[in-house]
Amino acid sequence: MTNLIRAELQKLFTTRLWWAMALVMFAFTAFGLAFLIAQAGVAPANGQPGLPALDDPAWLPLALSFASGANIFTMILGIVLMTSEYRYQTITGTFLTTPKRGRVIAAKLGAGVIVGVFFAVISLLFTAVVAITAVLIGGGSIDLTAGRIPQLTLGVFATLVLYALFGIGLGALVRNQVAALIGGIVWAYVIESILGAFPALQTVGKWLPGGAAQALMNIDFDTGLGESNLLPAWGGALVLVAYALLFALIANVTTTRRDIT
Amino acid sequence: MTAIEIRNLSKSFGAVRAVDDVSFTVEAGTVTGYLGPNGAGKTTTLRSLLGLVTPDSGEALVNGRRYASLDHPLNEVGAVLEATSFHPGRTARDHLRIMTTAAGLPASRPDEALEQVGLADAARKRVGGFSLGMRQRLALAGALLGQPKIFILDEPANGLDPAGIQWLRGFLRHLAHDTGAAVLVSSHVLAEVEQTVDNVVIIAKGRMIRQGTLAELTGNGGGAVRVKTKDDFAPALRAAGAEVEEVEPGLLRVKGLDAEEIGRLALDQRVLLTEVAHERSDLQSVFLDLTGEGERA
Repeated sequence: MTNLIRAELQKLFTTRLWWAMALVMFAFTAFGLAFLIAQAGVAPANGQPGLPALDDPAWLPLALSFASGANIFTMILGIVLMTSEYRYQTITGTFLTTPKRGRVIAAKLGAGVIVGVFFAVISLLFTAVVAITAVLIGGGSIDLTAGRIPQLTLGVFATLVLYALFGIGLGALVRNQVAALIGGIVWAYVIESILGAFPALQTVGKWLPGGAAQALMNIDFDTGLGESNLLPAWGGALVLVAYALLFALIANVTTTRRDIT
Repeated sequence: MTAIEIRNLSKSFGAVRAVDDVSFTVEAGTVTGYLGPNGAGKTTTLRSLLGLVTPDSGEALVNGRRYASLDHPLNEVGAVLEATSFHPGRTARDHLRIMTTAAGLPASRPDEALEQVGLADAARKRVGGFSLGMRQRLALAGALLGQPKIFILDEPANGLDPAGIQWLRGFLRHLAHDTGAAVLVSSHVLAEVEQTVDNVVIIAKGRMIRQGTLAELTGNGGGAVRVKTKDDFAPALRAAGAEVEEVEPGLLRVKGLDAEEIGRLALDQRVLLTEVAHERSDLQSVFLDLTGEGERA
């Protein structure tokens, strides 16, 4: 199995996509952090509470939670890990080399976990360096063991890993690369955003992967839309594990019996 | 043990019966040509043999086992399917490295296999820039990685230039006759394989039509020559010792003389011939008629 996971990682790292994803991820995170830094402590004119100031202990966890925004990129890599096999018909060679297809799926999921962890590390490092620098410049002090930071870090890892697995499951189900990418992005950016942002819709949204990840990270930031309605952190973790198993099952069932013509 | 055994294999896709009760075997040390027009069911047969397609009934076995049950398939079977199965952004060497890693083969195999198929110079180039012929060679390199004793190739000559086809013929013969491998190679063009194969299996519309040896394939149909002429040529032919049958007015079937002798005789007799041709052998006729090449030939 180690050999198969290594082969899956080679598939990813011998094409150019992964570092393109990493670059876009840095740009995306940098953009979000720039906004967060610029708006820190600025109260909107209508009297609503604004973002915490840079020297407010609540600012750093909020900034670090932006590292989980890289979930979209691990999802894309997961989708591509599966669908590029169909797009370029390399699935034929993959199954010739490993005819026991369940092992291929297991290896892809294993590679997905590693990709998720890898991106979580680089995303967290990048976010932390930028955010900590901003806090220090803003006159705040740093305590990485404080408050929710350890749990939040764990949440970033869980989110990025889970979305990689989600991508693999989605890719196995849809197979058409473009359709899977569009579906995945619409899901993560439109459906989950809407169902996760409005507390009234969170009765549904909290059961989705995005909502569950939010619960795990426990980013209880007042968006001015009312009190959030999320699962407890352990509930979020359980929901995420259940989704991971579901995606693995989808990938396995849709792939093992199909004729490759 | 029989290297490749196909027994009563049937497979339908929806209402289309792609393969219908096909049976044949391939022994070690021989090259078998699996011939038929496009859409005859060749690819489905080969994919069933390789565990990519699940047959409805019957069996397709390599070394007596189903491919999907093999623990080290690349060490037992080398397969070349369509030449498009590569990620265009990956280099030739990386493509083979991935297979090598997954199969747990020595890391030196990719370079050795590329050398063997004459692609060593292109090893670090992206496959996207490869010609069809180079892709075929790369696919063949993949089949060689595990140094197997069974080779299954689907239309490997597609996209090769004449020199490439010549090279492929020699290579397949070398695999079978020098290394003792069993080789099953499909084609829809008789000329591509007729100088390579020991045995032939012909399939059309999913059903097996004929099975025979190379000798039967290349036999010249008993030496008969078809002669078209509007002149009264039969008496002269008989006088020269030939056996003549008038198939229809103006068309003679001549035995006992070859085309050159008939032509010379016609010249002497001032007879105008509009066509002189050796009759095709039985297997050739069957195949050429199936593929529609018969009308053009």
